[in-house]
Amino acid sequence: MASPLVATKLFVPTRRTGLVARPRLRERLDHGAKARLTLVSAPAGFGKTTLIAEWLANASKRASAWLSLDRTDNDPGTFWSDVIAALQTAAPGVGATMLSSLQSGQQLNEHLLAGLVNDLSAAPVAVHLVLDDYHVIDQPDVHAGITFLVEHLPPQIHIAIATRVDPPFPLARLRAQGELVEVRSADLRFTGEEATAYFNREMHLGLSPRNISALEERTEGWIAALQLAALSMQGREDVTAFVAGFAGNNRYVFDYLVEEVLQRQSEAVRSFLLRTSFLDRLSGPLCDAVTASRGGGALLDALHRQNLFLVPLDDRRQWYRYHHLFADVLQAHFVSEGEAELPILHRRASDWYEQNGERPKAIDHALAGADIERAAALIELAIPETSRNRGEAIIRGWARVLPAELVRARPVLGIGLVGGLVSRGEFEGIEDRLRDVERGLATLAQGGAPAHNLVVIDRDQLPRLPGAIELYRAALAQVRGDIVGVIHHAQRVLDLAPADDDLGRAGGTAFLGIANWSAGNLEAARCAWAEGRDGLQRAGHIADTLGVSIALADITLAQGRLGDAIEACDRALQLAAAQGGPPLRGTADMHAGLSELHRERNDLDAARQHLATSQELGARAGLPQHPYRWRIAAAQLRRDEGDFDGAIVLLDEAERLYISDFFPYVRPVSAIRARMRIAQGRLDEALRWQRERGFTIGDELSYLREYEHITVARLLLAQGAGGTEVRLFLDRLLESAVSGGRMRSVIEISLLQALASRAAGDGAVALVAVERALTIGEPEGYVRLFVDEGEAIASLLRAALKRGITPAYTRRLLAAFGPAERAQPAHADLIEPLSERELDVLRLLRSDLGGLEIARELMISLNTMRSHTKNIYEKLGVTSRRSAVHRADELRLFGHTQPN
Amino acid sequence: MRKPASSTPERHEAASYEIRLEGHLDARWAAQLDATSLIHESDGTTVISILAADQSRLHGLLQRIRDLALPLVSVTRLRPADPEQPSTLPAPLPNKGH
Repeated sequence: MASPLVATKLFVPTRRTGLVARPRLRERLDHGAKARLTLVSAPAGFGKTTLIAEWLANASKRASAWLSLDRTDNDPGTFWSDVIAALQTAAPGVGATMLSSLQSGQQLNEHLLAGLVNDLSAAPVAVHLVLDDYHVIDQPDVHAGITFLVEHLPPQIHIAIATRVDPPFPLARLRAQGELVEVRSADLRFTGEEATAYFNREMHLGLSPRNISALEERTEGWIAALQLAALSMQGREDVTAFVAGFAGNNRYVFDYLVEEVLQRQSEAVRSFLLRTSFLDRLSGPLCDAVTASRGGGALLDALHRQNLFLVPLDDRRQWYRYHHLFADVLQAHFVSEGEAELPILHRRASDWYEQNGERPKAIDHALAGADIERAAALIELAIPETSRNRGEAIIRGWARVLPAELVRARPVLGIGLVGGLVSRGEFEGIEDRLRDVERGLATLAQGGAPAHNLVVIDRDQLPRLPGAIELYRAALAQVRGDIVGVIHHAQRVLDLAPADDDLGRAGGTAFLGIANWSAGNLEAARCAWAEGRDGLQRAGHIADTLGVSIALADITLAQGRLGDAIEACDRALQLAAAQGGPPLRGTADMHAGLSELHRERNDLDAARQHLATSQELGARAGLPQHPYRWRIAAAQLRRDEGDFDGAIVLLDEAERLYISDFFPYVRPVSAIRARMRIAQGRLDEALRWQRERGFTIGDELSYLREYEHITVARLLLAQGAGGTEVRLFLDRLLESAVSGGRMRSVIEISLLQALASRAAGDGAVALVAVERALTIGEPEGYVRLFVDEGEAIASLLRAALKRGITPAYTRRLLAAFGPAERAQPAHADLIEPLSERELDVLRLLRSDLGGLEIARELMISLNTMRSHTKNIYEKLGVTSRRSAVHRADELRLFGHTQPN
Repeated sequence: MRKPASSTPERHEAASYEIRLEGHLDARWAAQLDATSLIHESDGTTVISILAADQSRLHGLLQRIRDLALPLVSVTRLRPADPEQPSTLPAPLPNKGH
């Protein structure tokens, strides 16, 4: 449901009496409806709004969606929320996904807009979207969004824009494509015929052709001026004298005519018009408060009936506004006559809005009336609610206009402004502001308030200030990449924030969690996040607990605690579900996370189901990282189905959509893609990745690079290197993972060690490594880590099974290798793996080279070659070269790559 | 004729401007538009002068003029350092009009 303030923006202006039918323009607009865009571009007072409203009321078979823009629409979030609210008046439900994404604070992006375009193409009705007063928009982002919409507009939608300035769209291109129809001031101005119809048929003024042409010439057909002239002439005896006086001077048309009109009003009406001209909205009670009199509602009604440039903003005749041009000229008159009174009137308007629960408007009027002290007090009170409603842009606006001196004396106000700025990612000058707040607090603590003119309006906020200062310092350190600083300040938050300041403490623990996570201190990070989650839950910020839970799942998974990771997601989802209402933001991330977690256990049905649910919830219930997380999960499942190309496409998208959101980037998409390429046998692509990223096995190891370093080890193994260097590298990786408590990596590295040892012919060591992986993997039920390694691990598992290592688990793992694997004859078990050299020989045995040539190729003696061959035959359980080659293929010892 | 101001290097510094509009604007607008002077010319135009305006102030003023639907005739940047043009400097006080 649109708020009352928004509702007035969606109100299609009602038709006034005394309108002239303009068939020539109506035809133009009918024609325009076949194009994508109609642009009605002319200065104020040329009847743009009336023309479109008239045309919609008469000619259109389409539904209409009207939006009167104002300055607040320069915030893309506000603009698109308003556009969707307008569209929904014509096509209910359109843009619902985009709207809830915007409401949950998601930044506008082309994906959201593309979703809106999809909704519109599916809309059952044809819609005219009208954007009135588009000239108030000066935000390039808003222009870009509308350009995107126009360029992707479904055929049943048409956009009409009324503006005083041509918008920066590619108008020339649209014009050339026949997709733009324009109505400009030369088209809009009244012709002699229209002026005659207006003055004589509608206004019954009975003007002579000569007088009409004089008026027409003087005003150049400017409609607002002709209307004012008509008002001035109503009931006048000496119409010709009026026309002569008007036509015979050079004064700005509106100056002259407004004066004329004002002179013809009673003193009461004249005073009312001037004293209310500064209000951007007028209602009876507001006008009464401002003019300190009564009867404002009846007067507004009467003025509207007289066509005195009053525009209704709703159909109950509660709110009006003056025609902008009229208001501007009235204000100029008032300022020159009653400037001293203006601050008093603003004060009254401010009081009225404050009493009627519209604090932001009360602040606007306090600022406009230069009552900066009052504005500061109101802003201090308004900040908590404004930030709850994600009005950071508004807070930033306040921070800009309030003088530093004034803020310095108000520590609660100061910290509130800092909060708004930091949430917008603005860190300039924050340190100074924090120091001012700190100084103010210190003075207060000494009881020196009166002497230092310190002002605290919202006393309830005082106790949380010391913690808040440290919280924003932690944010500053985070931005600088100073992990030690983050930990220090976040710890101070927990020391200083009162026990009942759940939000402040949760902020501290979040920073502590991020810093420890980035540093690889997983257990410390886990404890911090878990504490933060519980605090947020106590504070009732359930939506925020979801964001924390996804981090918890990431961390516990890295720790190898698969069960705990699943439990963290499940618990968050239960909590969210218990709230009722639409899905909370973050639920889509939980399902994407669960998809990956269930895949680890090879529960692919559950994984697919969670992935589908996550997609259904979509961007609507997704955190900033959701588009990336969803694609990673989907790519893994694609890979399992053997669709590598599909997986790579998803990964490319994920890379483009990745947003840090403060989380450490421990599993870069480029490395995931390199692993896919390795599994696919496209080693050239993987090698290019390694070259570009510059990784070597001599690198210093860290948690942040661990995933990439393991990828490097995989690449080396895939190239057939089973040498000492790779094994030493794996040993180092293992040691680092063990000391960091990253048990998932320990399993993975152990499996790679097993493969490396096996390739080097060291079967016993390989089995030790596999046993370690099995022992750690069993309690948590890891499956895919093993299965993804393919047949090489399967044969080692069979060997492990023979030795009775975790038999139930090992059998389960072997079963997971799929029907093809189970169908393998039992004697295919390769208990003693081939050494690297033996594999080289075997590779050449598949060629048509003779024994001597093979020995020469490998630069070994014929005897050595023979003993290798003998070992190979033994290990493979064969007696001939032909059957050895056959068995090697059966065991897929060379993967998919064929020897040259 | 006034020469157009040289572009570099003071392009972004504040300068004085004369803005010529069609019609005679009431003197009360001088304060509204924050103009230094407002002069009615005999050709039926009004010349508004603003001192030391940077580009954003200039555009803000042009926007106000747009919103009043005042037909714009010309905008001229004055070159205070130009010794040939001392007399074109705007008067320091608003002209009260005719």
